[in-house]
Amino acid sequence: MDFANNPSFIRQGPSPATRLALCVALSIALLVGDSQYGLMEYVRQGMSVLFYPVQRALNFPLTAGRRIDDFLTTQSTLQAENEVLRRQQMVLITRVQQLEMVEGQYNALRTLNQLKSVRPDAAGGLAEILYSSRDPFSYKIVIDKGQDSHLQPGQPVIDDRGLIGQITRVQPLTAEVTLITDKSLMVPVMIQRTGLRAILYGYGGGVELRYLPTHADVKPGDLVLTSGIDGVYPEGVPVAVITRVERTPDAAFVMVSTIPTAGVEKGRFVLVLNEKTKVPPRPAERVVPQPKKPANSQEDSTE
Amino acid sequence: MSFDRPKELLKPVRRRFIYLSFALAILFNLLPLPIDSVMWMPDFIGLVLLYWIINQPRRVGIGISFMLGIVADVVCTGMFGQHALAYSITAYLVLLRQRQLVMFNLGQQTLAVLGLMLANQVIMMLARMATGSSFIGWAYFLPPLTGAILWPLLTKLLLLPYRHHKV
Repeated sequence: MDFANNPSFIRQGPSPATRLALCVALSIALLVGDSQYGLMEYVRQGMSVLFYPVQRALNFPLTAGRRIDDFLTTQSTLQAENEVLRRQQMVLITRVQQLEMVEGQYNALRTLNQLKSVRPDAAGGLAEILYSSRDPFSYKIVIDKGQDSHLQPGQPVIDDRGLIGQITRVQPLTAEVTLITDKSLMVPVMIQRTGLRAILYGYGGGVELRYLPTHADVKPGDLVLTSGIDGVYPEGVPVAVITRVERTPDAAFVMVSTIPTAGVEKGRFVLVLNEKTKVPPRPAERVVPQPKKPANSQEDSTE
Repeated sequence: MSFDRPKELLKPVRRRFIYLSFALAILFNLLPLPIDSVMWMPDFIGLVLLYWIINQPRRVGIGISFMLGIVADVVCTGMFGQHALAYSITAYLVLLRQRQLVMFNLGQQTLAVLGLMLANQVIMMLARMATGSSFIGWAYFLPPLTGAILWPLLTKLLLLPYRHHKV
């Protein structure tokens, strides 16, 4: 082919058509190699490394400008931004606190719900604690279920970790629960490790095991469960953990301090159980021979 | 008419200057510009390449076009070989008609360059579609238009260092 600036008497290597064919073949080989087999990855990586400093250098004026802009941000802008951020932070903190509370309640409810579906003797469903009584001498709480949920005095109340107390008074919409820490409440228990039976007394603010002989096999850390002998509490509900055992030679009984396992004075949701139903019938009353009434008693009554 | 080619005698072009112009074109393509500008930014490497093939066909030919195409492929993060293929083919097309092209005035040259740049884009698009991409829209043919608009300016710029007399 005839080209300008390419006099025919000068041999200039292969003709343009040959060069074109060569280059096109090479390009197509590259295209296929790159798109089908990814052969050119290394070449591309190498060349991009070569170009990296150039790119950084070209980017430099831009980044420098941005830096200077950052540096020259005015005091008032900063203050305004700071204020906005602080306000946002306050809002967020309250939100987080609410969330944590809701999360805690949710977890408690979930465990209680599981407990409720597991226990066949659950009565009246979950109850929420309304308030605790103001009387400092008694340890009682009021829950939001009462006669409307067919609660009855005497029913045990538990939470997800153990026994809380017993319903002692039922109003139409609420019920009063005497906690196990109350002075008037006693729970027949046994020690899980040994099966030793005992009675757990509330003493106003805490619980303790009384009247165990000094040689009784109790250790700190033992778990105290309800024994179920009384016909009120179902057996096997955790009540307390022994914290301290004191044996004094001059005392007849061992002093055993315990703490309740349940959140007796915390938490918000409780579960009311039915009283134990499979109680053997009372033995028949023995006929006690009535003492002969003295004659003068009748006179007294007539008086 | 200002579009006429300068009739004055020019100093010989140094090889150094050619390479410098290529380097500058590559740098222009590397400029950190907003991402939308890719839609209309002309292919500076292609433009400068066309200029040198039209004006210095002995020095810049198909081989150099191919090499620059490889560089452009890396710079534009495209498929390897697409720019190389397009540049070698357009270089050949220019060389076929170089004697006419160099005699055109600037307006005619601009039209020719528009056609060549469009050919570039068509070849690259065909290459991409042959390797499995889909048609990416007519906006792909916008850069040749801006490139053609810039062509007279580029010609004047690249001629500046080789005038005997300052105008």
